[in-house]
Amino acid sequence: MTETMHPQVATLLSRYRRELRDTKPSDALDARIARLVAAGDRVSPQRPSRVRRVSFWAAAASIAAVAIAVGILIGIRLGHVAPTHGAQQQTALPADFSLWPADSVALQIPAEYSAQGTLVAVDPNARSTGKRYWIDVVVSNDGTVRIDRIVPAETSPKKGAPDGITLQTP
Amino acid sequence: MKKDSDDSERMARLAAGDTGALRELYERHGRALLRFSSAMCRSRQAAEDLVHDTFVALLRGPHLFDPAQGTAYNYLCGVLRHRISRHFRQQKRWVALADDDSAAAHEAGPADEVARSEVSAVFRQAMLELPLQHREIIALCDLEELPYHAVAAILDCPIGTVRSRLHRARALLTIRLASLELLDLDQEPPLVQLS
Repeated sequence: MTETMHPQVATLLSRYRRELRDTKPSDALDARIARLVAAGDRVSPQRPSRVRRVSFWAAAASIAAVAIAVGILIGIRLGHVAPTHGAQQQTALPADFSLWPADSVALQIPAEYSAQGTLVAVDPNARSTGKRYWIDVVVSNDGTVRIDRIVPAETSPKKGAPDGITLQTP
Repeated sequence: MKKDSDDSERMARLAAGDTGALRELYERHGRALLRFSSAMCRSRQAAEDLVHDTFVALLRGPHLFDPAQGTAYNYLCGVLRHRISRHFRQQKRWVALADDDSAAAHEAGPADEVARSEVSAVFRQAMLELPLQHREIIALCDLEELPYHAVAAILDCPIGTVRSRLHRARALLTIRLASLELLDLDQEPPLVQLS
């Protein structure tokens, strides 16, 4: 295959080629090569590629192992830190703080015996069909509920407790 | 042929640890490599750095040279070509501080140590604006005047690819030179036949 070229391009190429032919390495480059030759003994030739590859994978595996170990350590540390943090929060609460609004609450509930013989709560405004009792229930500030006492309702319920429940603070 | 066998012997000496062979190889091929590098790079300093890096690479891995694959010069040119390619890839990651930085570098003048005349400076500018693939084929075929088979060995491609790539590169260069008003394509002069 014969290559063709525009004659002016050929002329320009030829001119540029001549100028390029005068290009000489600078003294700096010569000196750098001289230093390279002098230091040649200290420049270690690269190891065969297989050895390099093995080294690469060994290094990668080491880094991965270290990363996993660090991850586990961080995880363990966080596991230890979390409950301590919660405990600190608890101790930081004020001494008089209670989840309950008062120390304890006493409720007075009207009740009557049913046909089955069990004591059931009744509407205090309803007409009494039998003997009525007052059940005093105490709810402590820790949430426990206990029946304090059951007394016969010989008197009418106290005023201010239309629902039949009387709140008392001990 | 004698020179090639001498080069192979130098390479063998270098592989055996005789760094004096590196000096001899530099004296024999350093200038040609610098020409190729200068034709490819805008900066003379970068061109010299790349030639230096090529010899560093040679010093580190002289055993990589296989005389059966080609001459020492072809091998060195191949190494240099890869270095140039990497240099330009790395350069793409950088951003010029001033907008007109590259324009200043394009300007032909006393600072351009490769092209001394104004016409050559404009020609060089056109060359440097070609894609790397086309620039290297012109540098090797038209400036270094290497035979196609040597260029094919350096570029590690078939001779047919060298021819087609050179054809496209010359066409692109012609268009670029015309746009820089160094050519008048309307005149339709007879084409020059090259061997």
